[in-house]
Amino acid sequence: MILAIIENAFLSLIGSAIPASAVVMLAATGAMLGERVGVLNLGQEGLIGIGAVYSVIAVLSWGVESPWLAMLIGMIAAAVAGLIFAVCVVAFRASQVLVGLALALGGIGLSNQLGTNRNGTPIQTLFREVNPGGILDNHDAVSAFLFHDPVVYIAYIGLPVVLWFVLFRTRHGMNMRAVGENPAAADAVGVSVTGWRIFYSVLGAALTGAGGAYMVLSFTPTWSPDIARGRGWVALAVVIFAGWRPGWAVAGALLYGSMISLDTTAQARGWGLPFMGASDLSFFLSMLPYVVTLVAILIPAGAVKLGRRVRSTAAPAALAIPYSREER
Amino acid sequence: MTPLGSIASAVLRATPWRLERRLEVEARRAALSRIGGAVGAMVLVGILLLLTGRNAFWIFWQALDAIFGRQRGIEGAALRAIPILMTALGVALSLRMKVWNIGSDGQFLMGALAAVGVGIHMDGPGWLVLILMAVAATLAGAVWILVPALARAYWDVNEIITTLLLNFVALQLVTWSALGFWRDKEAAVIQSTREVSHTLPGLPGANSVTIALLVPLVIAAALWWVFRSTTIGYEIDTIGGNPRAAGFAGIAVRRRILVVMLFTGAIAGLGGMLQLSAPGAQAMNAGFSAQFGLSGFIVAALAGASFWGVIGGGLFIASMFYAGIVLQTKGLSVYIIFAIYGVILTGIALGEIAARYRVVRRDADEAASHPGAAVGTEASREAGP
Repeated sequence: MILAIIENAFLSLIGSAIPASAVVMLAATGAMLGERVGVLNLGQEGLIGIGAVYSVIAVLSWGVESPWLAMLIGMIAAAVAGLIFAVCVVAFRASQVLVGLALALGGIGLSNQLGTNRNGTPIQTLFREVNPGGILDNHDAVSAFLFHDPVVYIAYIGLPVVLWFVLFRTRHGMNMRAVGENPAAADAVGVSVTGWRIFYSVLGAALTGAGGAYMVLSFTPTWSPDIARGRGWVALAVVIFAGWRPGWAVAGALLYGSMISLDTTAQARGWGLPFMGASDLSFFLSMLPYVVTLVAILIPAGAVKLGRRVRSTAAPAALAIPYSREER
Repeated sequence: MTPLGSIASAVLRATPWRLERRLEVEARRAALSRIGGAVGAMVLVGILLLLTGRNAFWIFWQALDAIFGRQRGIEGAALRAIPILMTALGVALSLRMKVWNIGSDGQFLMGALAAVGVGIHMDGPGWLVLILMAVAATLAGAVWILVPALARAYWDVNEIITTLLLNFVALQLVTWSALGFWRDKEAAVIQSTREVSHTLPGLPGANSVTIALLVPLVIAAALWWVFRSTTIGYEIDTIGGNPRAAGFAGIAVRRRILVVMLFTGAIAGLGGMLQLSAPGAQAMNAGFSAQFGLSGFIVAALAGASFWGVIGGGLFIASMFYAGIVLQTKGLSVYIIFAIYGVILTGIALGEIAARYRVVRRDADEAASHPGAAVGTEASREAGP
């Protein structure tokens, strides 16, 4: 009996955590892609907003009827913003921290402005959940992990596998890592550091934009101001927690997602504790995702310092350092 | 040479000028270049506004009139300048050692929250309550950055994300206090905490600005003095220049980083108390900080960690901020202000880079006729420490 309740609670937690942090997963993969080639884009929060608002505009104002096309439009918008960022920091070598924060601020402001007249309008063009059919229905353990949108599978399985394979099993990926770790060496063997950095940070921005598009095309599904609500920053934290390894990002994103769904579940069911009423508990739980994310960042670094054997979790050596041949 | 660089040099080749890297960038030139970047960004914004059918000149005129046309405008800008200056001073201090404290908004909120806690629970003479509020706020700001500071100093964990995540926690905590544990049950419209009954004395001749405005000036002067005349200031600048070299020179780098970060949090926290002790702002609600930390960050980026620069830049950004509030009633939204902030910050970052180059006439350096030697000196300089 007790076991069944715990199992039930756990499954419903995971079941709602998976879609809740698909955004974080997409943004974390996008951020990791850029960071692997040495470009730190702190503008994830803004990119999510831009991706989301342009998907909303595509659906509500341009009459786009396919969620995939709407998502593509959101991704292109985010990629354009990412290109401006990349040109500033890679080609002009401006400070990645400053321009990244500028992108976060500007992206939030721009997307909120563009979304002003569309607040709360429900989006009808939605992703449909994948239904693997008959026999698997009506079982909690199955439905927690299945019956999600295709985007969820892409975010949690497709992208990490592809990124892992490319990074660690191909020559191209080795060159990518070289650009992030030792750009001078990559340059010496004929890899265009500038070109690769711009290309992959733009691709990463597009992925983050896809995260924003997913929010409005499936998760919320409507536009509201400040749509990212910190998920962009959490995604950057997840990259650190994951030690720049694609697979571990899944664990980080799910950790954050389960804290989010713990909060929403507690609110919906009016949970309380003996020493804390339901409303106080929900305030407390709404701080938890960020606290847990913060602690999660400290884990890899702490493990290294406290002498545990962990595989390399250090940031790419040239992260956030502009490369210039003249300055070697 | 980057593709854009080659395009730029191809364009320049058609002219009698060319780009040259400066061997040394003076602080004043860099500051002017950053300001130039910010002004250029604002001109760009003005052009964009014109293109979207808004009269940028009219908006600019309205903004100037809103601020300097009446005493209320000047005081409104000065009131916003207090929190912006305090958070900016904190960020500028951390920038002296190349540490980015992006969490000053959270430290500011926690300072204000601690001040409210003391203010609504303590009876006593007003001056004593206010002093204890200031002490509590300073401590709360420092405590709020303690974990990121320890992690940065001893575990080398990047402080950007950790400080920022705590902003969200602080905001939730403030919301909780306003709607939950310190809620004012009599207040009808806006849900907020109970009100502190003491305020700081006003400045002579002012209606709403208190002596709180003097605090950032005093702190800026103190920091300026510390960095000009003391060993500690020199050590911090050394760490900012090259932490490894600072370590070899026998400076306790990690402890310095910890202490400086705690100070930056403390300054922002005190800013929260100053904001709270102004007449009419004695209670907290979820909108207590209108992203003052972000404005402060932009000020510090503009000033490039010069404390007097922070004062100048802070007054400028605060005026803009207040103009933004006034213009909201005239068809510009607060969101546009954020978008403009983003463009300005990009302009500052590009200005910082532009200061490293200069345009020289081609025939002038043909006369110099030793391009190889110039490259050689630069290369040897770059190879140095």
